[in-house]
This record gives sequence, structure tokens and C-alpha cells, in this order.
Amino acid sequence: MNEFPDTPGRPGGDHDDERMRRLLDAAVSDVEPSEALGSIHARTKVSSMQRKRSWVLGAGAAVVATAATVAAVTVLSDSTAPGGGDAGPAAGTSPSPHVSKKATEKPSPGKEPSGKATAGTAVQTVPVYYVGDTSRGVRLYREFHRVDLVGGDPVSTALAEAVSTDPTDTDYRTDWPEGVTAAVVEAPPSDVITIDVQTSGKPLRERPGGMSLDEAEIAVEQLIYTAQAAKQSRDPVQFFLDGGRTDTLLGVPVSEPLAQGDPTDVLAQVWIIEPPEGAEVTAPFEVSGLAAAFEANVQWELMQGDRVVKRGFTMAEECCTMAPYSFKVKSVPPGEYTLVVHDSDPSGGEGFAPWQDTKRVTVLP
Amino acid sequence: MSTAPRWDADTAVDELYAAHYRQLVRLSVLLVHDMETAEEVVQDSFVAMHDRWRKLRDPDKGLAYLRQTVVNRSRSVLRHRGVQARHIPPVLPDVRGADEDVLVAERRKVVLDALRELPGRQREVLALRYYLDLSEADIAEVLGISRGAVKSHASRGVAALRHLLEDAS
Repeated sequence: MNEFPDTPGRPGGDHDDERMRRLLDAAVSDVEPSEALGSIHARTKVSSMQRKRSWVLGAGAAVVATAATVAAVTVLSDSTAPGGGDAGPAAGTSPSPHVSKKATEKPSPGKEPSGKATAGTAVQTVPVYYVGDTSRGVRLYREFHRVDLVGGDPVSTALAEAVSTDPTDTDYRTDWPEGVTAAVVEAPPSDVITIDVQTSGKPLRERPGGMSLDEAEIAVEQLIYTAQAAKQSRDPVQFFLDGGRTDTLLGVPVSEPLAQGDPTDVLAQVWIIEPPEGAEVTAPFEVSGLAAAFEANVQWELMQGDRVVKRGFTMAEECCTMAPYSFKVKSVPPGEYTLVVHDSDPSGGEGFAPWQDTKRVTVLP
Repeated sequence: MSTAPRWDADTAVDELYAAHYRQLVRLSVLLVHDMETAEEVVQDSFVAMHDRWRKLRDPDKGLAYLRQTVVNRSRSVLRHRGVQARHIPPVLPDVRGADEDVLVAERRKVVLDALRELPGRQREVLALRYYLDLSEADIAEVLGISRGAVKSHASRGVAALRHLLEDAS
């Protein structure tokens, strides 16, 4: 039974063994680790979700079909009361000065800052919302694009980006068909943002085949959120189709001015804002974004493939509404990484996979 | 073991967590000395096992992998902590509060402190042998060393620990 020889020079090996067992047992007998299955699940889900994501990228369809209901666009009977007074997220309004300053300093890679940002023309950073697949269906993420202003108007510029420019983050997309344009037109009353969608002959009154109901509603929300953010106002949005009124757009009822849909149902609940997709950074670097995380808990991993190189967590400033978070990634070897930020799973693995956003970053030596 | 259940990776995590999580955290506390690090090490190990389950596919192999990963990661945490940290006062595992039996806490601290003074291999062999009750062959496999080396680490470790504890009392 006792495979080990007696301790040299000591009598009573069995006795010693028993004593050692009791000592070590007692040393940790009151170590009671806290429940961790939930966070283990959250992490194994993140890594399998990432694998899944890379498989279906480009398929264009929602990754996970869920029972998530995207709230129908709210129709306002009184166009002077946008939002019904609900406290929307900071995200729905305008970029904070802090954030836009950073974005200005560091134009997103993948764009051609030299081509677009010619000296002498009006260049501005505009907020642009894009569609991304999440564990709860399609939701909106926001990017900042630094571009020439179209006709000097940030709202039209942001809308043009939203419908026809590819997002910097390849996990996002726009579901508006190619060739479609959207711009603000002057139309009374002035406290309504009127967006004219030019279809170039495509039948966009009805929902196109291949576009789900959720995708259609989110595509409409994409323009509402983008326009309101660029205008820094919650004025309701009236849609025109090819210059005139329409009852529906992509099959979504739009005859009345629309308030933005509930951010909880429209926005992805975790965003990374800095660093942008494809950024080159040097360690230490700061990560910031917005998250409506369960208990304000924001977790992050720096991954290489399926391997977690570094991880940590932080708290968003507030729970349950899109609130700023930031953290610093200290020492990390140079190389290419995927930064994953996500919330924790309140159900301990029973419910939806967590909200997350990912960015590819290169850490320079 | 041919009747081993066919678990998928998630089931493996759930089952092995339920049966072994606490014990693995305690094992890691014996090695790294503090609770927070131990919990992190063990959670990392479960995530690693989940990622690797396609290759393991068997509960026994899963558990062996977990033990090995916990020991390896505990060791690498200590290595990164470096020499300067070795003399920082230890963080006791989750002291529960004022009503805890002071004597018990004291004794536990003495043993953990003494373990900390041992060379890494001796500490690992003692923890695997006396806390997990692993056989010599299993310890050799977990640590990737020969059975002879396990024997000699064990006997030297026991002698050193006894010596340290006698000094402390």
C-alpha cells in the first residue's frame, strides 16, 4: 500500500504519512473557493463563439437564431416628444469629446486618411452605426469615421457612411443593398430629421427576400441612430423614399416620424471603442468602450487563436445602461492579438452567451 | 474504463467542476499560497481543458489533464512572481473573520509558510502525494519526472518540512 519508503533515518513511515496527510489537509481545509462555474462557462463560450464566428464570417446571415425580439420601431404620435423622455444611453447621443479627440488623432486603419482628409476641405469625425451579429440576433455597434463632410453636413455624411461604406471592423456590416444612398433633406417641421433614401431602382418599400424582419428593423434603426448621433439630437426621424413619403421602408412602417428604438433592444450591449479594429499599439495600451454589463462587470481577454494570453476585468461606471469602461493592458509581448471584451453571464451559463465585441490589434515591439 | 461516458466539452467542465473544483483550488493554494491566484489558476485550467476536450474525450484523462495544468500553472505563477516576492508576507487563504479559531488559522499558516520554503518540486510532490493521495506512478506522470525522482523529492520534502515545522513550534 505504501509505495514510498520510510523517510530515511526516521522510524514509522506510515505514521509519518498519516501525519503529513493531516497537516496538508488541515492547511487548506477551510479554503472555500467561490462559485466559478459561471465565469468558466462565459470564457469557454467566448472561445467557441469566436471559432464559430470566423467560420461564418461573410455568410451575411445572423449567426445565432434566437428568440430575441427587436422592439418594433416606436411610432410617435407627437413628433415634439422624441424618446418619450426615456433616459437613453450616452451612446445614443453624441461621441464624448474625449473619444472623438482620440479618434481624430488616430484615424482608423483601413481608411485612406491622406486621400480623404485633404487640407482645406472640411474634415470631421462622425459617428456611424453598423450591424453586427450577437448571441441575441443582429444589433448595432458604433464606429467613428474621419471623413470629408458631404455638403458640409455631418448628418448626411454619417448616413452616407452607414449605408455605403464598409465598417472598419470586419465583424460588422451594413445590410443596405449596394447603390442605395441616404441623405438628410430639408423638410418641415424643422425639429424632425428627414432622411431621403434613394433606391436607384431597387424595390425597398417591401422587405427584400433574404432579409429577416430583425435585420430590416435594425437597418432602419441604424439610420435613426446614426442621424441622431451625428446631429447630436434626439429629434425624431421621418423617412422618405426617393424623395417622397412612404408607408413602409424595408417593410418597416415609417409613415410617421420615428423615435429611436429602445437601446436595450437595438444596441449590442458591449462595445470596444479604442483601440479600433486593426490598430497598431505599443504596450502598455488603454482599452475603452461602452458596456451595459450585468452588475457592471466587464471582462476581457487578449487572445492568440484560442489561447488566452492575458485577461482581466474592470467595472463599467454604471450597471445596466451603456456606460463607459476602460482598462490598461500592461506588459504583453509584441504580436497579433484578438482583443475580446464581454460581460459576464448572469445566468451562470444557462442563458444567452455574453455580449461581446472583438478587435484585432497588433502590439508593436 | 471502456464504459466511460461520452461527454462533450461542456459536460466535462460541469462534471469535473462539480467533483473536483474545490479540491483543485486547495491543491493550488498549497502550491501558490494564496487563494485568489489559486482560483484563477484552476479556472484557467478548466478553460484549457474545455479547449482541449476533443483530444481528451475521457473523464479520467480530463482530470489528469486538470491536475497537470494546475500544477504547471501554479509553478509558472510562482516563477513570474520572482525572487523579490518570496519574502513579501503571505496572503492567507480567505480568512473568514473574527470568529475564526485563531489557533487553527495559525497552524494552517505555519504549514503553508513551511511549504513555501521548500524547493518547488518537493512542494509539488508532497501536495500530490499527501493532499491528493496520488500514487507514485501518477505523480511521476503529472510532473513528467521519473518514479525515482518522485521518491527522492518526497523523502527530502518530508524531512525538510518536518524540520521547518519543528523550528516553528
